[in-house]
Amino acid sequence: MKKILLILIAIAAVAGAAGGYYLWNKPHQNMSKADAAYALEANALFMEYESDEAAANAKYLSKIVEVKGEVSQVLEGENTTVVLATENGIFGVKCELDPHSKVEFPSYKAGDQVALKGECTGFLGDVVLVRCVPSER
Amino acid sequence: MQKFSFLLAAMLLTTLSLPAQKYFTREGKVSFFSSTPMENIEAHNEQGTAVLDLSNGNIEFAVLIKAFRFEKALMQEHFNENYMESTKYPKANFKGQVLDFGKINLKKDGTVTLKVKGTLTIKDVTKNVETEAVFVVAKGALSAKSAFKVAVADYNISIPKLVADKIAKTVDIKVDAALAPLNK
Repeated sequence: MKKILLILIAIAAVAGAAGGYYLWNKPHQNMSKADAAYALEANALFMEYESDEAAANAKYLSKIVEVKGEVSQVLEGENTTVVLATENGIFGVKCELDPHSKVEFPSYKAGDQVALKGECTGFLGDVVLVRCVPSER
Repeated sequence: MQKFSFLLAAMLLTTLSLPAQKYFTREGKVSFFSSTPMENIEAHNEQGTAVLDLSNGNIEFAVLIKAFRFEKALMQEHFNENYMESTKYPKANFKGQVLDFGKINLKKDGTVTLKVKGTLTIKDVTKNVETEAVFVVAKGALSAKSAFKVAVADYNISIPKLVADKIAKTVDIKVDAALAPLNK
């Protein structure tokens, strides 16, 4: 009886450790397979943020949002960030491309019409989406 | 009337000949680092905004908490949900002043280290911060870099007792911004 109990405890411990190890090394969400909660024009998203940031945050923060629009600028940092134009002229929707994705990104340039989806992180002059991947729709 | 238009023209001329006063970036870099016996905690953010006004030395820097990238997905989750509560507090910012900002000479390449004083707001908690920043002028371009330490407990960030001994009480923060003249 005692022996069985010991074996059970040992199994539980191993399972626990394996589970912990898996969680610890859990990969980032595969953005290509993730469904967008919202899909809209970059300008529409920007306007919602500009008119009421708190309401827009309540709706979009941490959600996967798909935006369509025209590339106004490409910022080349450690990660490439594609800026989509809005009526504002200076500010727009910034889409930081996903460094974890295995997707082959096209080389974006100003004037391109694009559809990207990523996680909405909020408003800082620009609306900022991170972990963006091309949207297939 | 003639006198007035002359004055106006003189005023316009002086404004036109002045170099741009406001410098801006929308790709400011902020990173933090904290070492623990288990694993180093490190995250990067390249989506910060910074504005430096060279007419009065005012400087502002802001980042979105959710735009920090971690190597490990689990760490990023814990950072956002447990420690920073980033849905409730999506931004952190610094507002302050560069002391002796007149020493930044845009006409000459060079490096100058200046004191920066201001307030840092994280999770709606605002504290005074004093640090040094290195300003580099190279071919008319201006960049600013700084590093400072933040005590986690100062900003209402609670670490569970279970891991309290394993997580450093202070975090090293690095800021790096390549600033360009703001034309509007």
